[in-house]
Amino acid sequence: MGMIDITDLAVTFGHGAARVQAVRGISFSVQRGESYGIVGESGSGKSTVLRALVGLAPVTKGTLALDGDTLIGRRSKAFYRRVQMVFQDPYASLHPRQTVDSVLSEPLAIHGFDDREGRVARALDDVGLGLGFRFRYPHQLSGGQRQRVAIARALILEPEVLLLDEPTSALDASIQAEVLNLLDRVRTERGLTYILVSHDLAVVAHMCERLMVMQHGRAVEELSRADLHARVATHEYTRTLLLASEGYRVSDGAAQGAAS
Amino acid sequence: MTLYWSREWLLAEQPASRRQARVGQAYRTWLALRTNRMAMVGLTIIALLILMAIFAGVLAPFDPIQGGDLRTERLQPPSWTHLMGTDDLARDIYSRILYGSRITLMVVSLVAVIATPVGLLVGTIAGYFGGWIDNVLMRITDIFLAFPQLVLALAFVAALGPGIENAIIAIAITSWPPYARLARAETLTIRNADHIAAIQLQGASSARIIWGHVVPLCLSSVIVRVTLDMAGIILTAAGLGFLGLGAQPPQPEWGAMIAGGRQFIIDDWWVATMPGIAIFVVSLGFNFLGDGLRDVFDPKVRK
Repeated sequence: MGMIDITDLAVTFGHGAARVQAVRGISFSVQRGESYGIVGESGSGKSTVLRALVGLAPVTKGTLALDGDTLIGRRSKAFYRRVQMVFQDPYASLHPRQTVDSVLSEPLAIHGFDDREGRVARALDDVGLGLGFRFRYPHQLSGGQRQRVAIARALILEPEVLLLDEPTSALDASIQAEVLNLLDRVRTERGLTYILVSHDLAVVAHMCERLMVMQHGRAVEELSRADLHARVATHEYTRTLLLASEGYRVSDGAAQGAAS
Repeated sequence: MTLYWSREWLLAEQPASRRQARVGQAYRTWLALRTNRMAMVGLTIIALLILMAIFAGVLAPFDPIQGGDLRTERLQPPSWTHLMGTDDLARDIYSRILYGSRITLMVVSLVAVIATPVGLLVGTIAGYFGGWIDNVLMRITDIFLAFPQLVLALAFVAALGPGIENAIIAIAITSWPPYARLARAETLTIRNADHIAAIQLQGASSARIIWGHVVPLCLSSVIVRVTLDMAGIILTAAGLGFLGLGAQPPQPEWGAMIAGGRQFIIDDWWVATMPGIAIFVVSLGFNFLGDGLRDVFDPKVRK
């Protein structure tokens, strides 16, 4: 029994002619403290798996479990206290009329935390934003700063599991590396469990110990980081992805070299 | 302390407190509104209306209800004594228009205060929950929208009894449905946004999401719509007054004053014309302000 167990998950949107099977029978399990990656092209259903886990997408078949407890219907407040999510587009995931302060204070108010002032200040500090950012509006922030705020919002409830839905794909390359390093550091410091969804094999290989490759709503294969380094992909589609990411890795390595 | 409320303090890139951030944001909106000439004209007209209403007692040279000598002062044309002439009961029309601004302002603000929250709540709840809640609320809205506003208001006033209070209630009852429609349409575009999903994942209740996250985003377009509707509300109130179902004589309501002047419109044009001009100017003011607000609030029009 892992931290998260997903068995034979299927997600279907719409009815009749408009029926779309986004996920068609996915099973995987993530251990406590592990970082698990889901890779696939756009439309492969990888984000839908995360959304189904937190109750944003309808589950048509299969079971989801957190720490052994099966998740059915509307998630409880206690669930959201343990599982938080970071969204892909930091321009869409922050309310345009709310300051950073109210974005971070609201979850604390919902869950009745004490010492809210101190927690907000510490959360900003943790993600590398100073107190000067506290009363800014999202339109006064850059994309990377917004994503840091989104990460701070997810971390402020001190969750055990962090779901990352393409957390860096809307950011440019140098900011991507910074945000990934931040996520890496936070995980080691707090012993978090990650599920990272990305179309970029290089990002997943950097962040995750194990990964699953998805295509057309199905799992193509499951690999460990060692497998990936040894290039022991059995499936044709994974090899294509590997090849694509190699061309990318040259420039990515150069960018990281320049950043450090 | 010297820097307090200065331009730098208001436009600070790094506000130091909640209040500074909020006031600064309001100041930015004001700066955007200030560059819009139409909006400023509208705002000036409305500010003058408010001042007129407050200082009617000081500004009016005559009593608005008690007329002068019926034998010598009836239906006098505009002169230096009576700037806008007198009506058939020898009352000074200028004074009556000044006092009438109080009634107009009361109608407009009460209708806005009653109808806006109702429309916003019905619309956002319908849009946010969808399904059968949406169906029930929107069909009720459709029923209200199926009647012309004045006719429906007429029916309500007829049922409630004539009088300015009942006219206000009737207008409020009939003017919320368009706001509900608008708020619902806005909510549908916001409902699936990531920031709403994010707050749902924070464990927020539906009431908190609707009130704290959906309503603020619908508010600006609803405010614009309400401001643009003000002219219509004034005209409806005037129409009810004209038909004798709104303000009752001798109250100096502008619509009722036009109705009173109807009999003398050929020989003594000023009796009906002066309150007509007042209604026209105030309606125009609200329309200008509404257009200006739309330009400021709607980023799609701004550029």
